[in-house]
Amino acid sequence: MAAHALPAAPPVQRPRVLVVGSAFVSAATIMTFVGLIGIYLTQRAAILGAGDTWLPKGVTIPLQQPNTMLFTLLMSVVTMQWAVHAIANNDRTNAYLALAITMFFGFATVVMTWYLYGLMKLDISASSQAVLIYSITGLHLLLLVVAMLFIALMAFRALAGSFDGRQHDGITAAALFWYAVVAIYVLIWITIYVTK
Amino acid sequence: MVRFGLCRPECIRSNEVPTDMSITDSRPASATASHEAATAAAPVSGSLLGSGDHKAIGLVYVVLSLLFGAGALVAFLLGNLHLVQSGFLSPSASDTLLNASELGFVLLVAVPLFIGLATYVTPLQVGANTIAFPRAAAMALWTWILSSGLFIIANCVDGGIGGGRDRAVDLCLLAIVGLVLALLLATVCVITTVITLRSPGMSLDRVPMFSWSMFVAGSVWMLTLPVLVANIVLIYVDHHYGRPSEFGVSSVQGLQIGWVISQPQLYAYAIPVFGIAADVIATLSGRRQPNRSALLVAIGAFGALSVGAYAQTYFFPEVRDQIVWAAMGVLIIVPVLAILGGWAALLKDGRPALKSPLGLSLVSVVLVLLAVVAGALATITPLQLRETPLVAIGQLALIIAAVLAAGVAGVVYWAPKFTGRFANEPVGLLAVLVLLGGGVLAGLPFVVLGFSTKFTGLDSASDALQYVAVVGDGLVALGAVLGLLALGSAMRGAAAEADAWGTGQTLEWMCSSPPAPEDFSELVTVTSAEPLLDAAAGTQEA
Repeated sequence: MAAHALPAAPPVQRPRVLVVGSAFVSAATIMTFVGLIGIYLTQRAAILGAGDTWLPKGVTIPLQQPNTMLFTLLMSVVTMQWAVHAIANNDRTNAYLALAITMFFGFATVVMTWYLYGLMKLDISASSQAVLIYSITGLHLLLLVVAMLFIALMAFRALAGSFDGRQHDGITAAALFWYAVVAIYVLIWITIYVTK
Repeated sequence: MVRFGLCRPECIRSNEVPTDMSITDSRPASATASHEAATAAAPVSGSLLGSGDHKAIGLVYVVLSLLFGAGALVAFLLGNLHLVQSGFLSPSASDTLLNASELGFVLLVAVPLFIGLATYVTPLQVGANTIAFPRAAAMALWTWILSSGLFIIANCVDGGIGGGRDRAVDLCLLAIVGLVLALLLATVCVITTVITLRSPGMSLDRVPMFSWSMFVAGSVWMLTLPVLVANIVLIYVDHHYGRPSEFGVSSVQGLQIGWVISQPQLYAYAIPVFGIAADVIATLSGRRQPNRSALLVAIGAFGALSVGAYAQTYFFPEVRDQIVWAAMGVLIIVPVLAILGGWAALLKDGRPALKSPLGLSLVSVVLVLLAVVAGALATITPLQLRETPLVAIGQLALIIAAVLAAGVAGVVYWAPKFTGRFANEPVGLLAVLVLLGGGVLAGLPFVVLGFSTKFTGLDSASDALQYVAVVGDGLVALGAVLGLLALGSAMRGAAAEADAWGTGQTLEWMCSSPPAPEDFSELVTVTSAEPLLDAAAGTQEA
C-alpha cells in the first residue's frame, strides 16, 4: 500500500497517563463519598423531620478536633503544592522536605481522628447514626492512609531520581489524589462535624 | 503490521507504555527506549500469570465472563422456576439464586465482558501497542477472579445478599467490594488508554465507535459503581460491627442495592452494545458512517441518561414519582432511535455482508430497544407498572440477553484478532437465533405480566408466561455457551488476514491477526475516523 495515502501529522503533546488515571480514580473516590454523604443527609433529615435529635442522647461530637484536622489538611494542600512546584523546578531538597511535611500532616490527622473517636463515646452497635458516622469517617481514614502510601511511593521514586523538572507526573498524580482526599474531608467536616 | 502502509512520523512520539511498567510508572521520556525495554524485559506473549499483555488479560475476562454468564442464567432460571413451581427449591435458596444471579450479571458478566473486549481491542483501535497501566490491568484481572470465586463460594454456603450465615454474608460483601474495585481499576486502564494513547490525528471524534462507547460506559461506571461500594460499606459495617440496625438487616440488604439492576442504571451496562454494533455494521457494510458525530453524541446521551446511582428507592422511596426519573426513562428512547436512524442511513445504499456479527449486533440493539420501551411504559403512572417488580425483571432479562448478544458479536467479529482465525459461522448464526428467541422469551412475558394490575385477566396466564420466561432464560444461557463455542471454534477456523473482513475501517484491522508484539510499536498517523478506508482510497488513486 502506498505510504503517501495519509499525511504525516505534526508532533503532538499527549495528556499524561498517570495524571489522567489518577483523575479518574479521584473522581470515583469522590463519588463513593457523595453516595455515603447523600445517604447520611437523607437519614438525618428523616430523623429530624420526625422531631427527634440526630445524635443519640449522651453523645457529643466536639468541634475542636475536626477543626484542627481541617486546618492541618488545608496546610497539607499547601505543602503538597510546594512539593509539585519544587520538583518542577528541579529543587529536590525542597521537594523532599515538602513531601515529608505533607506525610506528617497526614499522620497527624490520622492520630487526631483516632483521638476524636475516643472522645465521641459513640457505640457503633447502638444506633444507625453511629454506623453512618463511623462508616464515612473510617473510610476517609483508610483513604488518607492510601493517599499517604501513594505519596510515600512517589517520594521514594523521587529519591531514586525518577522525577525531574521535565517529567514529574508521579508527584503531580499523588498531589491530585491528595487534594481529592482533602476535598472529601471538607465535605465530611461540614456535613458531619459542623451541622451534626 | 504494515498492512496498509500508513505513514509513520519519523520522530516517534512517546506513545508506548511498556508491559513491565509498574502501576505508578510514568510515561518514559524516550519512546524508543521504552520499546526496547518492553521487548527486552517482558515478552508480550509471555505466560498469563503476571503478564501485563492486554491481549491475554482481555481474553481471560471474555472467557470467564461468558462462563459466568451461562452460570448466572442457569441460576436465574432456577430461581424463576421456583416462582411458578413452589417447593422446587427452599425459599432461601431461591432468593440466594435470584440475588446472586442478578448482581452477578452486573459484576461477573456484563461489565467484565465488555472490559475484556475493550482491554483487548481498544489499544489496537487507538493505535497503541499496550493498554495504559498494564500491571494495574493485570492486578484488576486477578482481583476480579479472586473476588468472583469468593462471591460464588459465599453464595453457595448461604452467605449471599440477605443470606443466613453471618460470616459468609460478610465474605460476600467483601467480595462485592473487591469485584467493584477490580472492575473500576480495569475501567480506569481502558478509558485512560482512550484518552491518552490515541494515534496522532485521532481526535476524540475520530475514535472508533467501540472505544468511544467504552469511554462513555467507563465514565458512567466510574461515577455510579463507587456508590454501590458506599452501600456495601454501610451494610458491612452495620452487619459486622453493629447490632445490626437499619442497613445490615438481612431483609433490607438487597433493597439497598436494588438500584444497580433497575432503570436507569440498568442501561449503563448496555452502552457498549451500541459501540460494538456500530463498528460491526460499518465494517460489514464497507461504507463510512454518515453523520458519525451525531452517533457519538447519541451514545454519549444514552450514557448520560443511564446514570442511576441517585435512584435508590430504599432511601428515597418517592424517587420514581419524580420528574427526573420519569424524564430519563422516556428521553433515553431518543438516542436509541437516533442511533438506529444513523444505521438506516448507512445501510440505505449499502449491501452489508450478512454475517453472524451483523445479526448478533442487530439482535442486541433490538433487545435494548425493547428494554428501553418497557422502561418508558413503566414511567406512565396510570399503567400501574411500578406496583410490581415484574417489568423491572423483564427489563433485566432483556438487557442480559442484549449484553450477551453484543458480547458474542464482539467475539465473532474480533475472533481473527483473538486467534488469527475466523469463528465458525454456523455457530454464530445459531447464536443469533438463540439469543433473539431467548431474549424475547425471557423478557417480554414479565413485561406483559406487569400489566396484570391493570388487566386482571392476565393472572390466569401468569404461570404459562413464567414458564415461557424460564425457557427464554435457558436459551440465553445457551447463547452464552455458544459464544464460548464460537471462540473455541476460532482456534481451528479458516486463517484470517490482517484485514480479516476485507472492509476494515479502524486501526485494529491494520495489525496482523493475531497482533504481533511489534504491532503499533511505532505510531501511525490518521486523518479521519476511517483511516483504513483513507489508505485504500489513497492506494487506488496512486
